[in-house]
Amino acid sequence: MRRFSWNSLRHFWQIHLTVALCTAVATGVLAGALIVGDSVRGSLRTLTLERLGTIQHALIADHFFQRELLKRQGMVPAILLNGSVVAQQTETRASKVNIYGVDNAFFQFWPGDAAPNLNKAPSQPFAAIVINEALQSELNVQIGDTVVVNMPQAADIHPEFLLGERDAAKAIQSLRLVVGDIILSKNAGRFSLRAHQSLPLNAFIGLPVLQKALGQVGKVNALFSADPKPISPDNLQLTLGALGLNIQEHEDYFDLQSQQYLITSVLSDTALTIANENQIPVFPTLTYLANTIKANDKTVPYSTIVGLPIDKPEFPLVSGFQIPPTDEIILNTWAAANLDAKVGDRVEIGYYSVGAGEAYTIEKAQFQLKGIIPIEGIAADRDIIPEFPGIHDTADMSKWDSPFPIDYTIIREQDEAYWDEHGATPKAFIPLETGKRLWQNRFGDLTTIRMEAAPGTDIQATRMLFETEFLKKIQPEQVGFQFLSLRADGLQASTGATDFSLLFSSLSIFIILAVAWLVEMFFRIGVEQRSREIGILQAVGYPLGKIRRRFLYEGGIIAGIGTLLGCLLALGYAQLMIFGLQTWWLPAIGTPFIEFHASLWNLLIGILVVFIVVMISIHGAVVRVGRVPTASLLAGETDFDQHSKPKPENDHNLTERATNANVSRGWATQISGFVGGLIVGTMVGLAFFENGWIGLIAFIVMGVLISSAIRRARRKADDILANLTPQNINLIHVFSAIGFVVGVVIAYFPFGAWIHDTVLTWIEHPIFEFLVSTFSILGVGWLAFNKWLNSQQVPKRLSRTRFVLKNAAWQPGRSKTCVITVSLACCIIVAVGGNRHDAPPETAYAFVAESALPLHHSLNTPDGRFELGFSELASQLLSASEVIPFRVLPGEDVSCLNLYQPQKPQILGVSDAVLDRSVWRKLIPTQSHTDRVIAIGDEKSLRWILHHDADDEFIIQDEFGKPLHLHLHTLENSLFQSQLIISEENFMKYFPSQSGYQYFLITTPPELMEETEQTLEKTLGDYGFDVTLASARLAGYRAVENTYISTFQSLGGLGVLLGTFGLALVLFRNIIERRGELATLRAFGFRRHLLSRMLFLENCFLLTVGMLIGIVAGLAAILASQGHLRTFPWVSLTIPLLSIFIFGIIANAVAVVLALRSPLLSTLKSE
Amino acid sequence: MKNTRDSTLLLKVSNLSKDFGKIRVLRDISFTFSAGASVAITGPSGSGKSTLLHIIGTLENPSGGRVEINNTDPFTLSEPELARYRNAVLGFVFQEPHLLPQYSVLENVLVPTLAFKGGQGRGSALTKVQSDTTQRAHELLKRVGLTHRSAHRPAELSGGERQRVAIARALINQPDILLCDEPTGNLDAATTKTVANLLFELHRAERNILIVVTHNLMLAARFEQHLQLADGTCIVK
Repeated sequence: MRRFSWNSLRHFWQIHLTVALCTAVATGVLAGALIVGDSVRGSLRTLTLERLGTIQHALIADHFFQRELLKRQGMVPAILLNGSVVAQQTETRASKVNIYGVDNAFFQFWPGDAAPNLNKAPSQPFAAIVINEALQSELNVQIGDTVVVNMPQAADIHPEFLLGERDAAKAIQSLRLVVGDIILSKNAGRFSLRAHQSLPLNAFIGLPVLQKALGQVGKVNALFSADPKPISPDNLQLTLGALGLNIQEHEDYFDLQSQQYLITSVLSDTALTIANENQIPVFPTLTYLANTIKANDKTVPYSTIVGLPIDKPEFPLVSGFQIPPTDEIILNTWAAANLDAKVGDRVEIGYYSVGAGEAYTIEKAQFQLKGIIPIEGIAADRDIIPEFPGIHDTADMSKWDSPFPIDYTIIREQDEAYWDEHGATPKAFIPLETGKRLWQNRFGDLTTIRMEAAPGTDIQATRMLFETEFLKKIQPEQVGFQFLSLRADGLQASTGATDFSLLFSSLSIFIILAVAWLVEMFFRIGVEQRSREIGILQAVGYPLGKIRRRFLYEGGIIAGIGTLLGCLLALGYAQLMIFGLQTWWLPAIGTPFIEFHASLWNLLIGILVVFIVVMISIHGAVVRVGRVPTASLLAGETDFDQHSKPKPENDHNLTERATNANVSRGWATQISGFVGGLIVGTMVGLAFFENGWIGLIAFIVMGVLISSAIRRARRKADDILANLTPQNINLIHVFSAIGFVVGVVIAYFPFGAWIHDTVLTWIEHPIFEFLVSTFSILGVGWLAFNKWLNSQQVPKRLSRTRFVLKNAAWQPGRSKTCVITVSLACCIIVAVGGNRHDAPPETAYAFVAESALPLHHSLNTPDGRFELGFSELASQLLSASEVIPFRVLPGEDVSCLNLYQPQKPQILGVSDAVLDRSVWRKLIPTQSHTDRVIAIGDEKSLRWILHHDADDEFIIQDEFGKPLHLHLHTLENSLFQSQLIISEENFMKYFPSQSGYQYFLITTPPELMEETEQTLEKTLGDYGFDVTLASARLAGYRAVENTYISTFQSLGGLGVLLGTFGLALVLFRNIIERRGELATLRAFGFRRHLLSRMLFLENCFLLTVGMLIGIVAGLAAILASQGHLRTFPWVSLTIPLLSIFIFGIIANAVAVVLALRSPLLSTLKSE
Repeated sequence: MKNTRDSTLLLKVSNLSKDFGKIRVLRDISFTFSAGASVAITGPSGSGKSTLLHIIGTLENPSGGRVEINNTDPFTLSEPELARYRNAVLGFVFQEPHLLPQYSVLENVLVPTLAFKGGQGRGSALTKVQSDTTQRAHELLKRVGLTHRSAHRPAELSGGERQRVAIARALINQPDILLCDEPTGNLDAATTKTVANLLFELHRAERNILIVVTHNLMLAARFEQHLQLADGTCIVK
């Protein structure tokens, strides 16, 4: 057989070469697509390794700490900040700049590179800054130029707490520096903690310079290690100081206090637990500053009030006095005297609260005076109150330098006298629980925890015990430390959010399908060409199986050669696609970073898949061999399709075969009937119980379409049905009916829930619905065309047009294949292209703004704008705009702009003030969502980047290292494709240390847009405030989507063109096979020109029918999924469709001309 | 079917020769036939029977000599004129029926009427039949005994039936000359007889010139005239 096969391969080399070339193209396209995926992944991996150098692990903290805390060798310290940089000379500004405080050791993570010069040049007045090329390009500066770096000022107290600093002058640290060096935007110049393929803007400042500027000498907020061994939390030796705590030790007790004024809940809870576990007497207090204490129309201004526990008799307030158990207050004698207050009087406390938008609001609380105590004991103890920054250390109240507004006019002489004598000594006392109710916030609920000696020990031993146990119990992750495996996480992320192998394989699917179809057709033509050979082999006794195997063997050799050739093509195709991604389709990846990478494994997969597909195609061609009678083959019959339907058998044979098969197949068919009925019954039941009559009707419509398809399949399986007697068929019906009833019952009972969770969820998936609606219409179109092809009605009048159209029925199989291929391709091109957005994006917002540093004042109020530095005129201008502020948890971009797989998405907290708007209403916490936080994300980002759908759960980590379960809701085509959004309430609950607002949506009257943008960027320049047109932001996202669609359309179009080329070949082949008939027509006076026109129109007709069915189905699919065609991109879709049509026409014309070039009439001779 | 045949119809072949490369297949062939003539062309394989028929049918050009039909040399006509001429004047039946499988029997019969717009291709000067061509097709099918098969596809017909459809097709435009190239070559004896009878019957009815190439001497004997080819020359009997 081998020798025969090799001879055959050589003899029919032309057709075999064509098949091999087609196979090579398919292999090239598929393996090339997989290599594109390799290249994207490989390039992301390269970028990751370049970005991190030899860094393996890092310890990052949300606060500064002494580097010595980490007991591990080889750690490189750094300060990581975000900020903005302004160039003095050019007055250009760059926002979102990564500001790194590093020393030379940091640059050793990139061994090949020399460390840039971070030292101050003697000739320069300011310290040096090193920037990367990307930042240089943004700022347009050179070495020696001066820049100002704006960054957040380090502060112990959170800016949003009453005592926190929010004034821009104090919250922002500006540092004037001289550009000492400019490094390439690679290696250290590309360093970033976040995985993104775009170039970061990096600025490096000497670590000591930055530490000094921030007032954090000796402290850092990051440590890096090149050691592959992970950093263990055990390596971190926490101290009370590192936690921002301090202990004031006294003779009989010690006080635990925080530098942040309030002790965070995590720490206070742990301290109280330790105290309880070790029987340490504990006395927690909460001290707050009251603006006023009023009684009897008299006011005492600015007094400290202490909340004390009511159940601590061991800590008496004053001898004989206990804290009242209700909302009652105790005043000291000074305050009572100043207020003329006596026991039982009403006392009102006024105090500041930081409300929505971080505005100070004055709250009031009413108390009844329970007692008046002398200033002695705890009541005279100033130590129980932590230091108020800017207040404690001043000599006079009039010199207080507080972050909150102070009305100095209400401060009296006697108040100053009290301050001189008693300082911040509290003037009033309330129950601790009442104090917590009034003043606790996300930053903590206690200010001092006083502890006495545990039984049997002295105070020093108790303190030692407490410290040891306390530090042992605190987990570093709970207090803002993160142990990152940067390299491993980066490499994991570099696998990519989008599988470009799959993407480009999908995008190239038409090319592969078209080629597979061509292979099948060519091979079939090759087989049909050899019909006489097959006939002779059959005549001399070759079994059919052997003949088929011989063709398969030949096909295998051809496919093998083709796939090997395809490997070379794959490399070229991949290079071409990479070139496309770097140029034509650049918006899809943002930055031209892709380099060629190829894995042998993917190449082998490509080869194997194509080999299998081609062999299936070849098998499809070979199985037809047995359908043609030997005599017909010997007579040169080439139309194998004509014989595809089995010949009807006479009744005798039928009955005999039925009898033989009945016994063996009876039960199988009945069981099949039962299972079929069961499935249908279950589906009907579920459709009805789930969606009522509408669901049932929809199901019936679908059922009709499916049954139509089944009927067609049944017709093709005549020989199987022939085995069934009427008795068999009746039994099947009975079993089907039983199955149906059982199915309905099952659907009604709990089993339905399981079906619902699996099958129905899948059925309700938009993609499934899209496919069902599309294929239903395609199916109807194909059935109608098929019916027309097979129609045998005799016309009353035979017109020339009908004559031409009817030619399509000459080879119905080929015509159907052509129509199906073209319609499928056009349908998908229309359906996919329908998602393209040609029209400029519409959004209700004028601008999206982001600031590098958080804003703590509202842009919607005159006061807020004043605090932010807006002039009166600018403030008036902004009053015409509305700003929706969002809190921001820094994280990774989850939009299609980021090719990496995001692991820590950026989270936005939408202001509570706008939660009542329809779009955000979903975020309002409900009772049913106590364990999960509702989050909104863009539907496309969730689906394609985070790989989640609506109602899914997405888990992130909160600030305390605990898992936070997000219940996802979706928005479509939103501005929020880069982030997930939660409510501000939840944001502050789970990320309390994040302060201020950094993301803004702005609505502005169109006529004021330009002026508003300039005003905002100019005034808030120090914050690194960047304003972008909302439509431009949306267009940026859409550009990616449109680029993917363009890529698909380009490659899909190429596939269709190949298919059209195949159509032309079919026509060519048809003409060759029809030479006899065409010659007859010539003999009867049909001119060559007329024949050409007829043949040309015949194929144009097939092309047109295919395109029409496909376009209608595609439009219907869009209509079904979008509900309208308002935004349908008619123009951009018309171009590829028209191109396909024109190319098809040209290819047809060429085929006709070539085929009719040779003389026809000679075929008519009988000798 | 009304016979309107021109009694002056004349087919005149003079000194006809045909070369295929260096091989001369036909040499100095001359004959004249008038309306109503039935002619059998016989001869051994390769003697040029089909070539002669094709030249008469204007399917091939002669290397020398002249063919005149009604005093017109068709080879002097342009390609469109020749096509129109062939459509109106000549009818063909080949050894293979060459029916179009996608059409019904009736449609196959009507195919020649579609070569030119408006049905028949004779043009105003040559038009002999103005009646509805479909009606004529039905009549022809009735004559060839296939009325009941008019809606069938060729694949559903037997070999003899297919050839009868080919005969009906050849006569749809009432040609002056009916040229048949081994019309019974693929048929059994019984069917050969049926087809031959049909040819003669229709020939008599149509009063055209019937020229048949055949190997079948019994069939040839039924023709009025016999043109025997040998070594490129012919003897008219």
